[in-house]
Amino acid sequence: MDWYPLYNSLRIALISSVIVFFTGIFAAYYIAKLNRVVKGILDVVLTLPMVLPPTVVGYFLLLLLGTKRPLGIWFMENFGVKLVMTWYSGIFAAAVVAFPLMYRTARGAFESFDENLAYSGQTLGLSNTYIFWRIRMPACRQGILAGAVLTFARALGEYGATSMLAGYTPGRTATISTTVYHLWRTDNEGLAFRWVMVNMAISTVVLLAVNMLEKRKGV
Amino acid sequence: MTETMTKIAEMYKEVKPIVEIVYTFDSSGTLKTQIEEGADCDIFISAAQKQMNQLDISAAPSVNTDGLDFVDGDTRFNLVENKVVLAVPDGNPAGIESYEDLGTDKLELICLGNDDVPVGAYSEEILTGLGILKKLEADSKITYGSNVKEVTTQVKEASVDCGIIYATDAFSAGLTVVDEADKDQCKQVIYPAAVLKITKNKEEALAFLDYLTTDDCGEVFESVGFSMVK
Repeated sequence: MDWYPLYNSLRIALISSVIVFFTGIFAAYYIAKLNRVVKGILDVVLTLPMVLPPTVVGYFLLLLLGTKRPLGIWFMENFGVKLVMTWYSGIFAAAVVAFPLMYRTARGAFESFDENLAYSGQTLGLSNTYIFWRIRMPACRQGILAGAVLTFARALGEYGATSMLAGYTPGRTATISTTVYHLWRTDNEGLAFRWVMVNMAISTVVLLAVNMLEKRKGV
Repeated sequence: MTETMTKIAEMYKEVKPIVEIVYTFDSSGTLKTQIEEGADCDIFISAAQKQMNQLDISAAPSVNTDGLDFVDGDTRFNLVENKVVLAVPDGNPAGIESYEDLGTDKLELICLGNDDVPVGAYSEEILTGLGILKKLEADSKITYGSNVKEVTTQVKEASVDCGIIYATDAFSAGLTVVDEADKDQCKQVIYPAAVLKITKNKEEALAFLDYLTTDDCGEVFESVGFSMVK
């Protein structure tokens, strides 16, 4: 059995999750401090990818990153790099659709954070960076952890936008989701079912791990 | 088929205004599955004999493996013929000139229909005949589209170096064709048409199929690259 889709899906999901983890948290932190109007507009814009159908997101990304489109041409001329039909195109797709999940859960977590803890830290002369990583983040860890899990799960399960941006090239851009679709289309039900089982196994392991992590910290 | 059949439906409104033609356009494999699953449909036009055979009880059991009986055998005939061509994006960035070029380093990424799609099956035939299919697969140079329109779009967007599609699709997308497959490279591409047994409008269905063989429709088909089957 060709295991490339597993390797590809996992690396895309992991890389996207890391990117989204940091960008989502920082967006949540800084946007929460803005005035209501700007915050409201940014909220809508940054949550859109979650609400739009993945194929719509995929189409929109193609308009930006395609070989004949503005960003696609710029990257090709300056770096000789193609942004679509490659394995890393899957990262763009997964990161964009998963971003709102991290962003919204982090926002929720930060908003229920007791600011007095941060203020106390400041009166004790601690730096903002220290306060963020050693006081705010640990206090919000339930929400942050939930966001991270949702992000990884969404990134791993991305299909629509990935299919449009990365196509389906076995051995190069194939992910578990695009492989299952292709196998179903070509009447290869046995292999398709095997991949379904693989995906369920991974998802179960991830969720179990998260459950155990939550229990250890106690409530 | 989409552009031609849509035009023909408009022409037919002048001929028989009370008949409303409703189309479902998709790859033949998908349509065959839809019919099998009970789609409400009067006529089936397939891009290959395979899908029509799979629904025709009079076809050999080796082809119609599920013994499906949806096609009214008496009404079945060959409508048009198409050519399988190698198309490139504007400006031909990879400089592909022929089917043989696909075996060289000029090619980085080619889009083909998957083997559930007739044009995909023909592509495989051509490439196997040239002895380069296995190598292309091993080098991960093939990306698959789930129907011929998807392959055409990939070529048009220059996401790939080239693609194997039908002459008619290349024509309607305005793509440059660099090579055509002849009779020895792959089977002839014949589009069969038939009335389905579940139809509730047999007379009208037959009348429409008859209309498709007239010179007026012949002109429409030939204008996009089809040839009529006599």
